[in-house]
Amino acid sequence: MPIIEIANLKKSYGNLDVLKQITFDVNKNDVVAVIGPSGSGKSTMLRSLVYLEKIDDGTICVAGNHLVKDGAYAKPQEIKEINAKMGMVFQHFNLFPHLTVKENLELAPKMLKEESPAQIQQRSSELLKKIGLTDRATAYPAKLSGGQKQRVAIARALMLNPEILLFDEPTSALDPELTGEVLNVMKDLAEEHMTMIVVTHEMGFAKEVANRVIFMDNGEIVESGSPAELFTNPKNERTKTFLKRSLK
Amino acid sequence: MSFDYLISILKPMLEGAQMTVLLFIIAIVVSIPLGFILTLSAGSRFKPLSLIAQGYIYVMRGTPLLLQLLFICFGLPMIPVVGEYLVLDRFVAACLGFILNYAAYFAEIFRGGLLAIDKGQYEASQVLGLNKWQTLTKVILPQMFRIALPSVANESVTLVKDTALLYAVAVPELLHFAQTAVNRDFTIVPFFVAGIIYLIMTLLLTMVFKWLEKRFKFE
Ligand SMILES: Nc1ncnc2c1ncn2[C@@H]1O[C@H](COP(=O)(O)OP(=O)(O)O)[C@@H](O)[C@H]1O
Ligand SMILES: [Mg+2]
Repeated sequence: MPIIEIANLKKSYGNLDVLKQITFDVNKNDVVAVIGPSGSGKSTMLRSLVYLEKIDDGTICVAGNHLVKDGAYAKPQEIKEINAKMGMVFQHFNLFPHLTVKENLELAPKMLKEESPAQIQQRSSELLKKIGLTDRATAYPAKLSGGQKQRVAIARALMLNPEILLFDEPTSALDPELTGEVLNVMKDLAEEHMTMIVVTHEMGFAKEVANRVIFMDNGEIVESGSPAELFTNPKNERTKTFLKRSLK
Repeated sequence: MSFDYLISILKPMLEGAQMTVLLFIIAIVVSIPLGFILTLSAGSRFKPLSLIAQGYIYVMRGTPLLLQLLFICFGLPMIPVVGEYLVLDRFVAACLGFILNYAAYFAEIFRGGLLAIDKGQYEASQVLGLNKWQTLTKVILPQMFRIALPSVANESVTLVKDTALLYAVAVPELLHFAQTAVNRDFTIVPFFVAGIIYLIMTLLLTMVFKWLEKRFKFE
């Protein structure tokens, strides 16, 4: 059974249809790369999964629980529980600037009070080690490079043990020489079988790490398939044009 | 001008300065939290509350503080029927006036601070499962106060100088004693002394805020 089922998502701003009948499933341990020109609705689709955007119609089901079914949303408490299964990493990191790296990691778990402070501390040091930033634990975000900030943001999302991790262009705000360190952390997560949906312009990452690629254009899924299929043998003209332009 | 003369006028002037400092402390301690409540009210989704708060801020910032002080000291008691119960001690009335006025300015400063916070901060909080209250107290307010700090510092220095308005409602403060000495002794020295005392107060205050800004630099 898929861990995320998305069916017939629709959303419009005024008479601009941003999402038109988006339908796809994500299986457990999948790494799905979502590609497409800017303005095609990728962010809106991703954000609607964690209730940062409200859709007008359609169904989103996460691990068997309906966030929204045929346009009708679940109760606030259920929405909260469903959202807790997912973590999100933003293009602009959105770290808390007034908190140190360690405090950024520990704030949410401490507020949720599901674990003891000792457990929380232990996990934050494990995760800092994993992203290679143990020595920056007491630094404020302002003192970190973009790549370091994004690694911290990933660790912060992981603190809550999500089943699914969503990424919205995680490397687009970074200098080219800093994207590697972030992509490496994401590769490690993929190898540990984290389920991920990654909106990205990094075709290399999509090819290498994703096991499925979705091409969106103009609010629709134009084509989807394995990286091998989609990158070497795209069927749709729009996909071909897009790939030709972005692989240059 | 003798040293003895300086000492003789310094004593009453320092007593006046105490009044200045007392008013400053009362005004700042009450008007900052009140200003913050006004900020939240003005931004509230409950329209009547929001309109009242915005109207209040508009009136307090749009009319002279001196007018407000005169109104509280001399105007309130003249209101028919209830006026006789509104005769306040001058100093109390002045404190009230400063608090009510400065709360509106602080509210505006805090509102600016809130607007400067990126919406990504709210989004990250929501995705991390923080509720509205946790988001406000742990994420938004600390940043808002940090952003507002330089403006709060500025406004506080203005408040020190505005305490001189007590002169107009005949509360004996620093300026009052200076003026008295000038008239009595035919010398302008007391004005200089008063100026220096104000400078020392604003300097100390500026240093405190500089320290706060450094302490909460988040770097
Ligand atoms: N709040 C909004 N109001 C109006 N239009 C919006 C809003 N947010 C996004 N859009 C529009 O929706 C479309 C899809 O945006 P987005 O999902 O951000 O695309 P992508 O992430 O693929 O670049 C764009 O045309 C964008 O201008
Ligand atoms: Mg986008």
